[in-house]
Amino acid sequence: MTATDTTFRHAPMVALEQLEHHLGPAGPAAERSADDLAEEFPVADVAALDACDLALHYVPEEYGGRLRDFERSAALIRAVAGRDLTVAIAHGKTFLGCVCVWVAGSAEQARRVAALVAAKVPVSWGLTEREHGSDLVNGELTAVVDGDVVRLTGEKYLINNATRGGLVTVLARVTPEGGPRGFDVYLVQRDRLPGGAYEPLPKVPTVGIRGADISGFALREAEVHAVDDRVGEPGTGLETVVRSLQLTRTLCSSLSLGAADHGLVEAVRFASGRELYGKVLADLPAAARTLTECYADHLLNEAFATVATRLIHTVPGELATVSAAVKYLVPVRTEGLLARLRGLLGARAWLLDVRGDEVAQGVGEFQKVERDHRIVSLFDGNTVVNLSSLVSQFPMVARGHRAGREPEPGLAVAADLTAELPPADFAALRLVPMKGVSVLHNLAPAAAELARLAARDPDLTPVAGVVDALLAGTRELLGEIAVQPIVPPDVPPYAFALARRLATMIAGASAVALWLGNQQAMSADPLWRKGHWLLAALARLGVPADDTALDASHAVLGTVLRDQVFGSRLTSLLHARLVRERTA
Amino acid sequence: MNSPDSTTVDVTPADVAAWLVERIAEYREAPAAEIDTTVPLAELGLDSVYVLSLCGDVEDKWGLVVEPTVAWDHPTIDALAVHLHGEIAS
Ligand SMILES: Cc1cc2nc3c(=O)[nH]c(=O)nc-3n(C[C@H](O)[C@H](O)[C@H](O)COP(=O)(O)OP(=O)(O)OC[C@H]3O[C@@H](n4cnc5c(N)ncnc54)[C@H](O)[C@@H]3O)c2cc1C
Repeated sequence: MTATDTTFRHAPMVALEQLEHHLGPAGPAAERSADDLAEEFPVADVAALDACDLALHYVPEEYGGRLRDFERSAALIRAVAGRDLTVAIAHGKTFLGCVCVWVAGSAEQARRVAALVAAKVPVSWGLTEREHGSDLVNGELTAVVDGDVVRLTGEKYLINNATRGGLVTVLARVTPEGGPRGFDVYLVQRDRLPGGAYEPLPKVPTVGIRGADISGFALREAEVHAVDDRVGEPGTGLETVVRSLQLTRTLCSSLSLGAADHGLVEAVRFASGRELYGKVLADLPAAARTLTECYADHLLNEAFATVATRLIHTVPGELATVSAAVKYLVPVRTEGLLARLRGLLGARAWLLDVRGDEVAQGVGEFQKVERDHRIVSLFDGNTVVNLSSLVSQFPMVARGHRAGREPEPGLAVAADLTAELPPADFAALRLVPMKGVSVLHNLAPAAAELARLAARDPDLTPVAGVVDALLAGTRELLGEIAVQPIVPPDVPPYAFALARRLATMIAGASAVALWLGNQQAMSADPLWRKGHWLLAALARLGVPADDTALDASHAVLGTVLRDQVFGSRLTSLLHARLVRERTA
Repeated sequence: MNSPDSTTVDVTPADVAAWLVERIAEYREAPAAEIDTTVPLAELGLDSVYVLSLCGDVEDKWGLVVEPTVAWDHPTIDALAVHLHGEIAS
């Protein structure tokens, strides 16, 4: 028995193991690669997920699904993404398609949608239009209300599953002048429409997720019911979408985590097998450091995504800020780490049919991981949209911190993985955080707690110092953002820089909270002991750290990373066994 | 910590409107007399970000937690004042 077998088991990770077990070893890379190159939809892989009823994890329990804990559903999506991101995006889109109904629909609508999902009908989400990328307020697809009937006319373009899907939730303009109360969300069920009313557009060839069904649709006087098919009260469409995006943006981080899990395995295997100058590449100091820095980036992302996802349940009123920060930071930092791993793989990352020194059709998985992952920072609110959203929240975030505040009990629950999560309350999602961001409020007490721990255990002194530096950086930033409100879309470049820093501080503070919340339960684990992962992760955010301590932490990370990869375990802060076949 | 004003017992919608005019005049750097209480807030040059700050001021002054959507649903100063007054009174 290893140390990790005796430490606490986190329920979402157990669920991830069960899904892995059901799915069995991933199919041959060659087949996935052939599908990808031929732009074929991954029919068999999606059917395998349907056979495990994965989509029930997108449906709340009260409507007959298995979604009780968002963290568990996120872990399942991560497992699928770690096998093949195209499959995860193709399948997970159903969650995005449904979410408006869980957030704002009636119980009757929710039961209807749940039944379709249980019957494996793919659901898609029609927000974006050809002429208005992220600019939803200028959408032109129009709803004309005529008594009990609404006729929808217009086009949505770049829609995932628009061709294969059976149900789509559509954002439509109901008043000619539009505006914040001028839109509604409608349920459009294709089998209820006459031919021609819903016309899928041709598949759009893409750089990554090439097999996915990326197309669009045109509606021509498509008739839906004015009440039964309208999600929420009249005029609430945009508000519903904005609230729903807080959930989906948070969950998108699991796609990035899966991509990094996959990329790290490829890179570690290559670097451990390749000999150069009589040495193994992974043992050359700079190469080893590249691997462990990428791993530290990944662990930071995992910590932030974990806290953010748990906050859905415990502090939903702050999700406007947290979801924008996580959807900006995790995909972008994952792109960065994948690019560094690409550098380490060298020529092998450029070749389609090479893994390490093994030449065979389809084994060059790394290039596909990186190509597929590029979509994650683009869809469901791209990087600029998320940063602009943070900028628009500056006044409230700064004001919340000026006002001071009692500790938020929900944060402690989110940060303690052994604590049971309360059910998610979608009615508590807010468009802006009225009281600031509790994980930032909590940084000062957290730094004080670390200082106390370090007074008893000098091994914690370096990490306590880093957390102090993070606190100083956060205070400085909150002072800077408190000045002038800035009005999107005319956001000056310096405001984007402030928003990036704000996201970085929220991520770092989340990691601190998670470490403090679990260091006792995880004390047998070398990653957690002496704050090793936290020190390495915060240093990656640019917080100054002591060099000797950092070297020691990287040495620990290097050992754990290799153990996880060669022991068929998830590259994670937590323990999860994989059945992923890694011997192509 | 901010606590709501204790003088909220006898406020009228006109008091709330006068307070809103004062805040908005300050933000717009315009005399209060020039602020029309019957036109949409957007026409007064108030963007959605200002509405967020205004929500904060409402909380400080009246102890009411309001979402920025109140300005969508009650888009003039008069309408907003009536709505806020109802909330304060209840
Ligand atoms: C594969 C794929 C699948 C998709 N699936 C769906 C789906 O299922 N449903 C759906 O509704 N949509 C979907 N989309 C659409 C996607 O969400 C949008 O394309 C995306 O959100 C942004 O659109 P855009 O790049 O066209 O951005 P635009 O809004 O047109 O912006 C273009 C660029 O302008 C710059 N920019 C924008 N605003 C600012 C600013 N304020 N300051 C400075 N620079 C700025 C940014 O660099 C931005 O990338 C999908 C897209 C793709 C590619």
